[in-house]
Amino acid sequence: MWFIAEDLINGILMGAIYGLTALGLTVIFGVLKVINFAHGSLLMVGMFVAYWAVTLSGLHPYLALILVIPIMFFFGYYLQDIVIKPIFKAEKDVREPITVIIVTTGLWYILDNLTLLIFGPQYRNIQDNPLRGKMLEIGGMFISVPKLWGFSAAILTALAIYWFLQRTRMGRAIRATSLDRDAASLMGIKQYKVYNIAFGIGTAAAGIAGVTLVPFYNVFPSVGVLFDIKGFIIVVLGGLGSISGAILGGMIIGVIESVGPQFMTATWTEGIVYALFLLVLFVKPSGLFGVRYDW
Amino acid sequence: MTRENFQKLSAALLLIVSFGLPLVLRSPTYLHILILLYLYAYLTTSWNLVGGFAGVLPLGHAAFFGIGAYTSTVLFLQYGISPWIGMVLGGIMASIVGVIIGLPTFKMRGAYFALATIAFGEGMRVMVENIDYLGPFNLNGPRGLQIPPLNVGLANLMFVNKEPYYYIILIMLIAVLMLTYTISCSKLGYYLNAGGEEPEAAKALGVNVARCKLIAMAMSSFLTALAGVFYAQLTLFIHPKSVISLDLSFEIAFIALIGGRGSIAGPVLGALLLRPVSDFSRIYFGHILPGLHLIIFGTVLILVMIFQPRGLQEPLTKAYHRLLDRLTEKPTEKE
Amino acid sequence: MKERSIGRKVYVCVLAFAFVCSMAFLADRPALAQPKAVKVGNILPLSGPSASVGQQNRYAQDMAIEEINAAGGIKSLGGAKITMLYSDSESKPEKGVAEAERLINTEKVHVLTGCWNSAVTYPTTAVAERYGTPFIVPVSVADKITEQGFKTVFRIAAKDSWWTRDQFVFLSDLQKEFNAKVSTLAFVYENGDWGKGFAGGWKKLAEKGGYKVLLDEPYPSTATDMSPLVQKIKRANPDVLLLVSNAADAILLTNTMAEYKVKPKAIIASGGGHADPSFLKAVGKNGQYLFDIVEWETDVNKPGVKEINQKFKSKYDYNLAGESVDAYIAMYVMADALERAKSLDPKAIRDALAKTKLTKGPAMIASYDAIEFDETGQNKYAALVMVQINDIGKGMERISVWPKGARRAGYKPLFPVPVR
Repeated sequence: MWFIAEDLINGILMGAIYGLTALGLTVIFGVLKVINFAHGSLLMVGMFVAYWAVTLSGLHPYLALILVIPIMFFFGYYLQDIVIKPIFKAEKDVREPITVIIVTTGLWYILDNLTLLIFGPQYRNIQDNPLRGKMLEIGGMFISVPKLWGFSAAILTALAIYWFLQRTRMGRAIRATSLDRDAASLMGIKQYKVYNIAFGIGTAAAGIAGVTLVPFYNVFPSVGVLFDIKGFIIVVLGGLGSISGAILGGMIIGVIESVGPQFMTATWTEGIVYALFLLVLFVKPSGLFGVRYDW
Repeated sequence: MTRENFQKLSAALLLIVSFGLPLVLRSPTYLHILILLYLYAYLTTSWNLVGGFAGVLPLGHAAFFGIGAYTSTVLFLQYGISPWIGMVLGGIMASIVGVIIGLPTFKMRGAYFALATIAFGEGMRVMVENIDYLGPFNLNGPRGLQIPPLNVGLANLMFVNKEPYYYIILIMLIAVLMLTYTISCSKLGYYLNAGGEEPEAAKALGVNVARCKLIAMAMSSFLTALAGVFYAQLTLFIHPKSVISLDLSFEIAFIALIGGRGSIAGPVLGALLLRPVSDFSRIYFGHILPGLHLIIFGTVLILVMIFQPRGLQEPLTKAYHRLLDRLTEKPTEKE
Repeated sequence: MKERSIGRKVYVCVLAFAFVCSMAFLADRPALAQPKAVKVGNILPLSGPSASVGQQNRYAQDMAIEEINAAGGIKSLGGAKITMLYSDSESKPEKGVAEAERLINTEKVHVLTGCWNSAVTYPTTAVAERYGTPFIVPVSVADKITEQGFKTVFRIAAKDSWWTRDQFVFLSDLQKEFNAKVSTLAFVYENGDWGKGFAGGWKKLAEKGGYKVLLDEPYPSTATDMSPLVQKIKRANPDVLLLVSNAADAILLTNTMAEYKVKPKAIIASGGGHADPSFLKAVGKNGQYLFDIVEWETDVNKPGVKEINQKFKSKYDYNLAGESVDAYIAMYVMADALERAKSLDPKAIRDALAKTKLTKGPAMIASYDAIEFDETGQNKYAALVMVQINDIGKGMERISVWPKGARRAGYKPLFPVPVR
C-alpha cells in the first residue's frame, strides 16, 4: 500500500496546477460575482500564447511568462472593458447579472472556434523543451519535474495575488468592491476600473496556468473545455473568492483523481468528484475555506 | 374591431396556419426543422416554469430530458411497453428526481444554484455512461440504445413520415403554453413571481416560497421528460452524450434567456429566432470554415445580451402593442 | 451617446439577418447552384473534438474527387462531374440526422457518405434507408452499422469484431515467431462506444486464448492527467497492453508511460488516435516499438501507394492514414458504381454498389486485393495491417509487420520490447 504515497504526491502536484487554473476563476467570481464560462477558453488562449512564445523564441517555457503575463492581463482587461462592462451598466441594480453568464458563454464559443479557424484542430506539442518528460526518482517513486515546476508556479502565483490584494491600494480597493460594491463606490473607488483589473488578474492567472501545462500537455483549440467544469468544482469546493481555497480545493480534486483509480476505474472517479462537489454544495455552500459573503 | 377580438382572431389564424402548414409545405427537411423548432420551444417553455417564474437559473435540465428518453426506451425495448405509457412513467420519475434535486438547491443563491444543477446534470451523464445494467434494465452505457423501426403506428409513437410527429409536438407545445398561461394567472403564478423577485417580502406575507418552487420544479421536470420521450421516438437512437448533454441544458437556458424568461411568449420567440440562426449558419457556413457557425452564434448571443438583457420579447411585445393600437379601437375608458 | 447608436445599428442588422435566416427556410431552396452533376452529401465532424479526423477525411475525399473529375468524370453519364457537399455533424447524432434529411430532400444528393463517429452513423443511415439513398460508410467500425438489416448501407472498413480478432491472431503469431510466451494482458480503453465495443471483443478472445486479464480499465477520453492510470498499469505489470484511444489521450498516455518507464513486452493499439498523424509527431521516441492495427499504412506493397501518399503529403503536410485512405477508396468505389449504374436513380446506384467487384484502379492502394460487399453491405475483403513504430535510420516511422505477406522487406519486428 506504500505506493499510495507516489499517487498522493502526483495528486498534490497536479492538484496545485488545477488550483492555478481555478485561481483566475475564483478572483473573477469573488469580485465581479459572475461565473465566467469563458474561463476554459482563456486558459486555452494562454496555452497558445505560451506555445507560440516558446516555439518562436526557443526560450525556456517559464521564461515565456515574461510575455504571457502582460499579454493575458491586457487581453482580460480589455475583454471586460469592451464586452462585459456594457452588460453591467445595463443591469446596474441586479445583484448577480445573469446575462453576463450568457455573454461569457458566447465568448467561449467565439474564442474556441476562432482559434480552430485560425490554427486548425491538430494537436501541438513543444517537442524539445528542457522540461519535457523529466522525472525525479526518489526511493523508487517517480515525480514529474514539469509538475513540480507547475506546483511552485501555482504556490507563487497564489502568494503573489494574495500579497497584491492585502498590501496594495488597488488590492484593497478590489477587496472592498467584492464585499460591498455600492459602499465601495460611495467611497470613491471606481467600480468598473476595479472590475477590469480583477478580470485582468484572473486572465493572467489563466495564462500562467497555461504556461505550466504547455511543457507536458497537448495544445489544441478545445483543450479549455477539459478544465472548465473542473475549475468550477474546485472554486465551489474551496470557496468562491478564496485564493487558498482554490489551491487547496484543486489539490483535493487532484488527490482524488490520482488515488481513486487505484481502487476503482478512472471513470467512477469522475463520478466521485461530482458527488463530492454536490456534498459540499449542500453541507457548506460557501466552500471549505470560504467566508460567508452576503450573497 | 376591438383589441380583444383582434387578439382572438390572430390567435385563431395562427392556429389554422400552424395546423395547415404540413398540407401546404411537403418538404420533409422543412418539417424536420419545424419539428425541432417546436421541440425547443416546448423545452424552453417548460424550463421557464422554473427558470423564469421561479427566478433561478437551472442549467441541468437535460438530465430530465434524458430520464424521459431512457425510461421509455428501456421499457419499450425490454418489455414492449408503449412510449405513451413510457411518457407518463418517465415524467413521474423525472418529477421525483426534480423534487429531490430542488429540495437542497432552492435554498442556494443564484450562481451556486446554477453550478449545482450543472453538477447534477453532468453527474447523471457520468453515471449513465458507466452503468451497463441498472438492476434488470439494460442501459448499455455509452453505446446507447437504438430503437428498430418496426411496428410503426400511433400506439408506438413511431412513424415513417414527418407529419404525425409534427402534429404531436405542435399539440404538446400548445398544451404547455396554455398551461403556462393558466399558471401565470393563478395564485401559484403570483406566489412564484413574488418568491423570485422578493423572497423575504413574500415569506413575510405568508407565502410558502419553497413549496411553490418545488411544485414548479416537479411540473417542469415532468414536462421536459415528455419531450425526451418524443425525441427518442423521433431519432430512434439515444446515448448519454446526446440526451443528457451539457450543451442541451445550456441551449435551452440560453434560448429562454434571449427570448425573455418569465414571459410566456419569450421562450417561443427565442426558439423561433435562435434555432434558425444556429441551423442556417451551420448549413451555409459549416463546411466553408470550420466552426464559423459557432462564432456567429456566439456573437449573436453577446449582441442580444448587450442590447436587450431582458430578452427580445420586450421590444417585440412593445412593437406588437403599438401595432394593435393602430389597428384596433381603443378600449373605452371603463376602469 | 454616439457609441450606443452605432451599436444599435449593428444590433438591428444582426436581428434582420436572423429574421432573413428564418425566412430563408420558407424558400427551401438548395444552398448551392445546380449544374448538371452527381451530387454527393458528406457528413463529417468538421468542428468539435473530432475536427482533426474530419478534416483529414475531407481532404482525402476531395483529392479523390479531383482526380476522378479531371479524368473525365463519370463517362457513362456523359462525363458528369461529381460535386461534393459537406456538412458538419459536430459529432452530434441529431445534427447528423438533420443534415441527412436536408441533403436528401433539399439538396437532392444521389449518394451520402459519413459520418466517422459511429453514434452519428447509426441514426443517419436509418434516414438514408428510409429514403432509399445509398450510403457509403468509409470508416465507422461498430458492428451494428451493417447489422441493422438495411439495404442501402455499404461499409468499406472492417467491422470492429474483425479488428479485435486480428489483434489476437497477431498476438499468437508473434508468440510463435519469437518463441516467447504471453500469459497476462491489460485492457485500457476510452470510455466511449468504440472503446467499450473493443473491450467486449477482447474479453471473449482472452478467455478463448487462455490469457489472464490483469486489468480492465475504461478511462474518460477527456482525462486531464494520465499518471494514475499509468501507475495502475505499471503495478499490474502485464505482459501485453491493449489500447483503444483517441488522439489527445493517446499522446498523453504514451508520453506519461515513457515518463514512468512503463514497458510491457508489447503494446498493441487499435488505430484511431494512435494512427493520427499528430500522434507520431507529438510523441517521437516515446512511441517506439508500439504496435498498431490499421486498415492501411504508407508502406503497403501495392502500386500507386507511394505516389498517392506523396501527392497528399505535399498538399497537406502529413501522410495519409488508414481512415483517410478508406475515405479516398470510398470515392473510387462510388465512382465505379456510378459508371456501372449508368443512371442517377438511387435504386440503380444501390444495386450497382451491391454488385461491386473492384480489383483494379486507384482504389487498390488498399492493403487488400478486392472490394466486394456481402448481403449486409460489409466489404468482405476488408483486411487489416499491423505496424510497428520504429526508427530504422530515417526517423520514427510506421512499419508494416503483419500479416507476414504485408511485412516490409528486410524488417524484423522487435518483440519483446527490450528493457532499458
